[in-house]
Amino acid sequence: MTMLKREEWQHLVRDVGWDYTYVDHEAVYPEWHSGTGKVPVEAWRDWEESYKVTYPEYVATQNEKEHAAYAVKAALQRSKAFENLDEGWKSSTKMHFGGVTLVEAAAIIGELKMARFGLNPGWRNMAIFGALDEMRHTQITLFFAHEFVGKDPQYDWAQKTFHTNEWGAIALRSLFDAMITSPNVVDLAIQLPLTFETGFTNLQFVGLSADALEAGDINFANMISSIQTDEARHSQQGGPTLEILIQHDPVRAQWVVDKFFWLSARAFSALTGPAMDYYLPVENRKQSYREFMEEWIIDQFMRTLRDYGLKKPWYWDDFVAGLDVWHHSLHLGFWFWRPTIWWKPVGGVSKAEREWLAEKYPHWETIYGPLWDTIIANVNAGQMEKTLPATLPWLCNTCHLPNDNFTYGRDGKWRVRNWPLKHNGVTYHFCTNVCRQIWWEDRDGLNNPTVVERFLAGEIQPMDVPGILAWMGITPDVAGDDGHGYAWAREYLPNGQAARAGSVTS
Amino acid sequence: MTETPDDARTASAEPEPSLIPLNAIFATDFVEILVPVMSNNTVAELAGAVATHVEGIRVPARDAEKAVYHNGRRLDPQLTVAAAGIAPLDHVRVDYVE
Repeated sequence: MTMLKREEWQHLVRDVGWDYTYVDHEAVYPEWHSGTGKVPVEAWRDWEESYKVTYPEYVATQNEKEHAAYAVKAALQRSKAFENLDEGWKSSTKMHFGGVTLVEAAAIIGELKMARFGLNPGWRNMAIFGALDEMRHTQITLFFAHEFVGKDPQYDWAQKTFHTNEWGAIALRSLFDAMITSPNVVDLAIQLPLTFETGFTNLQFVGLSADALEAGDINFANMISSIQTDEARHSQQGGPTLEILIQHDPVRAQWVVDKFFWLSARAFSALTGPAMDYYLPVENRKQSYREFMEEWIIDQFMRTLRDYGLKKPWYWDDFVAGLDVWHHSLHLGFWFWRPTIWWKPVGGVSKAEREWLAEKYPHWETIYGPLWDTIIANVNAGQMEKTLPATLPWLCNTCHLPNDNFTYGRDGKWRVRNWPLKHNGVTYHFCTNVCRQIWWEDRDGLNNPTVVERFLAGEIQPMDVPGILAWMGITPDVAGDDGHGYAWAREYLPNGQAARAGSVTS
Repeated sequence: MTETPDDARTASAEPEPSLIPLNAIFATDFVEILVPVMSNNTVAELAGAVATHVEGIRVPARDAEKAVYHNGRRLDPQLTVAAAGIAPLDHVRVDYVE
């Protein structure tokens, strides 16, 4: 029997659907899940993915990818590659394992929602492949991290992070609940596949993969490159969805893209910014975080906006200005509140590193130099208690990251400015004016209290640093400390003292 | 109705001091922090409470007077937190006087 070629039959099956006669359309595709809004239901018939795949092709390709990724892992498992990695780089991977693994699991739910409630059969088929992809990503990331748990318990947070109240986990849960778990599938397809996966996973999966190779971590590069090949396919669910939404409700389309580009940018400034500009050894850095964002994110995002006829987001100047400060402040915050995180942040401010930072970010020394100089002086004086937190940083009611963004004011000063909002008798504080605007528009859907709010409500007992750490699930064996044992501070000691100085520990 | 001596004492007494958690920032520091003060603390004491977490810790210590700013106004350091109108969850900025 002659087999038909794929192109001879696929058009007949990829979008098989039917009209319901025994039940109402609304019963099968309820608005709160399907989210058609102002788009007539029949308009979704035009939904078409640009890259088509059949199930046999999918299985063959994925099988090949899996074999390749696990073969490289098996080969490297016998080497001493892990032991030779710098702790700064290892911490970049710990951030990734803890911050990303269960987001892949949440994405399974997102894809399955689209597979069930998407308003076109072709879309629903694509989403099935997407769900299988995300299952693979969850499994491969957990498996790769698991190898290291016996060597360092911080790797256990690949599985653990999202089951704790660690403050970074709360920030990420808040973001991905809003992006993946709670929205209808139209908003979801634009938020997750289009804005997040097309827009930003390049940053983590392409940028960090290149950095991993530079750092000598072939295993990690192998894993995330394997994942990225799937992202490139299933992220295309966003494009056709956006095309149809723009035709019928351009205001909604613009808002959804704008909002999740901003929130994703905030999250990646925490997840990727410090990894690229501080944790990766300076001799291995090819591009700064800002340069990478300009080349890989801004150019591509502007192309997407142009292609779909969207406007530049209203906050564009704030976003671009943030590339010079957001991740530097977050790095300083991670380091100072290091007992609250599941990795070992390196200071990353040796003289050579500061020279690199000052070259890439001309305002770095003005803004951050005096702060780090004070910390360095305390480290070198052995006053470690002064380098550790005794209170909480204030966290933004929208992105749940610290309110730590410098802006250059009309007064000629770089200062962190306050963005408050009083609503129903409660005062909220935000990291930026944009997070405040997003909160105001979405205030009925954003009810995730910050760690500070939970602390003030008495949810955290006892109300002190040990009580906070226990509430976050941070145990002494995983609490972060300086990844380089404060070695970077010693070169600031006066001549002679540096040579005599021993190891400093907190 | 005749006022009793007990009633008079109650009427003239200061209200019980209460805890006022604040969103605070010190000078050129990089982050807003949570700082609890009491309503009967003076504004000068509030400045000290914020500085404790930052001065000489992240921001270089200076031998200079500190001022507290609330809703764009510089506050009298002798006032109490309550008398200055500072409410729970308000933002205050503590800065060196140039």
